[in-house]
Amino acid sequence: MSRKGRRIVWIVLAAVLLAAGGSQCVFLLRHPYFRKYAALNGISLREARDVWGKPDRDAEQILGMIVEADAENWPKVAELAARKDLRSEVGTYYYNLANAMLGKLPDRLMDYYQPFERGLFLPVGPSSTPFKIACAGDVWFQLGYMPLAERDAMLGLLFSPEHNGSRYLRRLAETNLIKGDSEAAAKYLRMLLNGSREDRKWALACFPENWSPQYRQRIAEKRNLMPQFDLVHGMDQTPLILRILLSANQTNRMALDYLLCYDLLTKDLDAFVSDYNPALTASPLYEEAMLIVLAAKGGMNAENFAHYHISEVNFQRFNRFVTIYKRDGGSGRNLTEEFGKSYWYYFYYAVKNEKK
Amino acid sequence: MKRSKLLLFAVLPAFLLLSCGRPYDVRPAGPGTDRAAFIYPDYTDVTLPCNIAPLNFYYTDPAGKAFTTHFFAGGKAVVLKGREVVWKEKAWRELLAAAAGSDITVESAWSSDGTRRFQRWTLHVAQDRIDPYLTYRLIEPGFEVWDDLEIQERNLESFDVRVISDWRHTENKCMNCHIHSQGRGDLSMFYLRGEGGGAILNRGGELRKLTLKNDAMISPTVYGEIHPGGRFGVFSTNIIIPAMHSEGGRRMEVFDTASDLCVADFDGKRMLTFPETSRKDVFETFPVFSADGNFVYYCAAPAHPLPAELGQTMYSLVRIPFDAATGTLGGPADTVWSATQRGASVCHPKTSPDGRWLLFTVAAYGTFPINHSECDLCLMDLSDGSIMDMQAVNAEKSDTYHSWSSDGTWFVFASKRGDGLYGKPYFSHVAPDGTVTKPFLLPQKNPHFYDMMLRSFNVPDLGNAPVGFDAATIGKVWKEMPAESFEKKNHTI
Repeated sequence: MSRKGRRIVWIVLAAVLLAAGGSQCVFLLRHPYFRKYAALNGISLREARDVWGKPDRDAEQILGMIVEADAENWPKVAELAARKDLRSEVGTYYYNLANAMLGKLPDRLMDYYQPFERGLFLPVGPSSTPFKIACAGDVWFQLGYMPLAERDAMLGLLFSPEHNGSRYLRRLAETNLIKGDSEAAAKYLRMLLNGSREDRKWALACFPENWSPQYRQRIAEKRNLMPQFDLVHGMDQTPLILRILLSANQTNRMALDYLLCYDLLTKDLDAFVSDYNPALTASPLYEEAMLIVLAAKGGMNAENFAHYHISEVNFQRFNRFVTIYKRDGGSGRNLTEEFGKSYWYYFYYAVKNEKK
Repeated sequence: MKRSKLLLFAVLPAFLLLSCGRPYDVRPAGPGTDRAAFIYPDYTDVTLPCNIAPLNFYYTDPAGKAFTTHFFAGGKAVVLKGREVVWKEKAWRELLAAAAGSDITVESAWSSDGTRRFQRWTLHVAQDRIDPYLTYRLIEPGFEVWDDLEIQERNLESFDVRVISDWRHTENKCMNCHIHSQGRGDLSMFYLRGEGGGAILNRGGELRKLTLKNDAMISPTVYGEIHPGGRFGVFSTNIIIPAMHSEGGRRMEVFDTASDLCVADFDGKRMLTFPETSRKDVFETFPVFSADGNFVYYCAAPAHPLPAELGQTMYSLVRIPFDAATGTLGGPADTVWSATQRGASVCHPKTSPDGRWLLFTVAAYGTFPINHSECDLCLMDLSDGSIMDMQAVNAEKSDTYHSWSSDGTWFVFASKRGDGLYGKPYFSHVAPDGTVTKPFLLPQKNPHFYDMMLRSFNVPDLGNAPVGFDAATIGKVWKEMPAESFEKKNHTI
């Protein structure tokens, strides 16, 4: 080949490499969370594209919520969730979790799509997708229920492409540190020491002899939420588990809000009344639910209003809702705009999509 | 020329980096870890069969350096240097042969924190060989779901592993553990679950796919064993409920809300049920044959409302006569080990093929000992009913899912000692007087193997010969072989 010919070959080769690199850069700029999610699952970007395909914008938004939730960056999770109501179970699940971590779960619950209880707890079973199973333990971990946090991390690991995602290894290490099972924790910490530089740094800091005062406090706080008594229960007995958490620690406000929101999203108002203690938590959402209960059971009096902290404003709004509801013969047509984000509207008009 | 040299310099470091791989950092010792001994696996003072694969291990002292290990036996001496002690197979075999029936003395020396450390320890080498094949299912500790399951057969005399059934050939179907009958490679079975599945029976290499279920049974067959004669199998049928413990230190619990026994006649293609072992007021499970095939041992407990009374549900070990001519279980059952008297619960009885021993698991309650850290192995001498001292074998975590070698001198079991999460196969020797030895962990080529392993060795089962099939054959059986029905008529006797 002549000198000129070789030069042309080199130029073409360089152009191809540049184009490929450029395409990769564009992809990374557009999908930063996809790469991070792949890393959390222990695989490279290329492997992730082979396994999961190219993500669309909605998928990138959900992956962003997962990645930020993994870093416990709750304002960012909420911000990502608020960008677009994706009407997805996983999206709502993380939006709810972020709001709960920010102390705003009941206050924000009706502001966005709620696929009934599946936006609070992602079901885990033979018909669940691996993607949802991998996310299901995040809420249990934050609630302080380590048996299910560990179960879901174990299943996340099981379904991660190489069965060794650091997202799950970290969770498994931490659930066992919280439980005080240092031998089990060491198993996962040792594995993380062989991972990325970040994993190694994280793992080294988590060996009990290296705990910082902040980390020690984090572990103590989680331990404080754990039930100290034993009760054998089914894996899908969500309200029972939340009640177990509450009987272990009455100050677990997050567990209480999740329980009350679970009652409300499943429209089980009897359970809600039984679980609700206005001295422990308060929200306009709970006021709205109590107004339905009191109206149905004939308790609309000042004493009950005071006990349940029901404001005059909410009472007047409820009267207006009922008036329009009756006037329109149960149609929600004229209620949507004014009351679309009220519990009353959800209670009367939300229909469960059983296919999901 | 100049360019090619440059290329060489550019490629060589990358090649070296790739070929060396990343060094293991397993933070082997210190607070918060489970490495109590100075080596892992802890092979100090264990008893080995004279045909076992090389015992590779590493030193756990994180500050240690200049490790030297001297092995002496029968006039032979071998020196290995370095933290990782990895044998050449030929050298190991020669040393083992020189030590058969006696000891290998080991001297370990290293420096740590400026101090010279020294340990002298022993490997006892028994003259009894162990059955050279071990089958097990590799599975993540799961909760009703699974992925990438496989059953492997490991050659214990080397590091060779053969896959005998796997997810690749069965579209990721669930499969249960493989069991030999009395350690025989030519008589074994396992289940493929789901569509296209069935009980896969291996008799002399001939495979059959069986649907072991009829209308009189509460479920398809679950636990069981093949009769030494090969015509019959005894099984339990169980309604199995998975559950969780709320207390953080415990993991998944599983219990039966109903369970009975039945006999499968593989030649007559019929299932047999019996009033004595189908009682509604009694839970019956984990049946196995005696070595001579004339009895069935199983676990039985009075029925309790569950899970409310799970803590009070304790299974006794009982025995019922079996007629190998007709396949009949004849009552009444004798109690061999009373749960009421002992205040504990028996699981997984296994008789030794020589008829001398009965090995079983004892837990505080229930039928799911793998997550019960208190559960231990118990050895009964069937000649007089006495219980042997098993302190040398049992650990502080679950020890269960055991099986015997075909001559009854070795047993293997899955232990969760250490991390408490992942079952690993340990082997122990039984002397004629019932003395058991400190168990040793299945050796691996890479001494760090278990540190990086995230799957359990489920139901390790010894075999005297390789089973005559592989994963591709099982894939064909799954896809192409119709399952034989055992639903003809109810043979309640």
